[in-house]
Amino acid sequence: MTPPELRNLLADSLAVWGVAGRITVSGAGVVVAAAGHELRILPAERPLRWWLERPGQRRPYPGTVGLLRGLRNALGAGDGQPVRLRVSPAAGA
Amino acid sequence: MTARIPVGVLTGFLGAGKTTLLRRILRDPAWADSAVIINEYGEVPLDHELVAAGDETFLSLATGCLCCVMRSDLTETLLGLHRRRAAGEIPPYARVLIETSGLADPAPILHALMLEDVVTATHALHAVATLVDAQHGMAALDRHPEAQRQVLLADRLLLTKPDLAPDTAALEARLHALNPAAPMRAAIQGAVPPGWVFAAGQHAADPAALAAWLEQAGSAARHSDRIATMVIERAAPIPAMALTLWMQALAEHAGPKLLRLKGLVALAETGTDRPAAIHAIQHVVHPLEWLEAWPSADRRSRIVLIGQGIPRHWPARLLAALEAEVVEESERLSAPR
Repeated sequence: MTPPELRNLLADSLAVWGVAGRITVSGAGVVVAAAGHELRILPAERPLRWWLERPGQRRPYPGTVGLLRGLRNALGAGDGQPVRLRVSPAAGA
Repeated sequence: MTARIPVGVLTGFLGAGKTTLLRRILRDPAWADSAVIINEYGEVPLDHELVAAGDETFLSLATGCLCCVMRSDLTETLLGLHRRRAAGEIPPYARVLIETSGLADPAPILHALMLEDVVTATHALHAVATLVDAQHGMAALDRHPEAQRQVLLADRLLLTKPDLAPDTAALEARLHALNPAAPMRAAIQGAVPPGWVFAAGQHAADPAALAAWLEQAGSAARHSDRIATMVIERAAPIPAMALTLWMQALAEHAGPKLLRLKGLVALAETGTDRPAAIHAIQHVVHPLEWLEAWPSADRRSRIVLIGQGIPRHWPARLLAALEAEVVEESERLSAPR
């Protein structure tokens, strides 16, 4: 995901959570300014995918789903309703 | 005078189980000779493809909602079917079943069926059956005036998915208060006799009074501006893991705002031989359902979401990100070390 694509996805995500904020591309990542926080999201080396940085803390995420959950929690925008699904690739399974 | 063709209307808010019931009815040999008209509120017709395929008495009205712009289309569709039936171009169906959009106020539809002379000369409205989701019905009634109107106009009320709601007493009381005249029963997966759902002669006990009400209610029919339909199409099959993560994320982050999700999907792991049907209502995601075959030669994955307050591009952006992520991860793991 390119930084502009990440910016667009996260901007939409803020809207879904009902959080007003601003997201700007910064280098290889983005800066999220919302709910009184300023957070930086940067790509990570595999097997990780993202770093979510805030003052005094740097947390890794192996995927975008985890990043969304982490960002939402960091912004205090609610917990959502986590669900576990199984999409079986075997027809009839 | 030739006997008029009975018409049954199946309504109910998004996700109430109309398509499931319709599929079940059409599997009943005594009801298989039904012409079906499905009105969908989406950019891409989908509901009808979840019901059946290749039947020339199966029509989809997909340009909008009957209650807003398509009353004349319904009239033309009914009459067109009737002409083709009379000419022997299509099987001599015994009745017409109309499945409304989940967002439709049925009043203008009934108005057309009862008051358009060209329609009433050849068709007779028999019954309006309204499905109410036992799990989400109360919330729909709270938030959507269309849902209330669907209940108000019912001849039969069918409480669906009672197995997902342990206590339906409050909902049943509310439905009874809204429409005390309509018999009500509960059914799982559409397991109810079609003859009960579309019992003949249930409607139009007082056509004039109802017509007056329809005129008034129909003039105010509209969709909420906050409800939007989003369509995602994919030519290439979607990795099962990406689909799983996507639906989990939708349910987690947009659950209450996700009114409905339906899709026909080709998974990367199984190819395009058999599509999978996906369904979700708010944060409740139904198990994947495999269909025997694609309904047409078009084997693209198509997913339709109806949401309230969901940014228009968010679902597609999220799916694209997850697809890329899953593909890249798969390539990384399979690369020689």
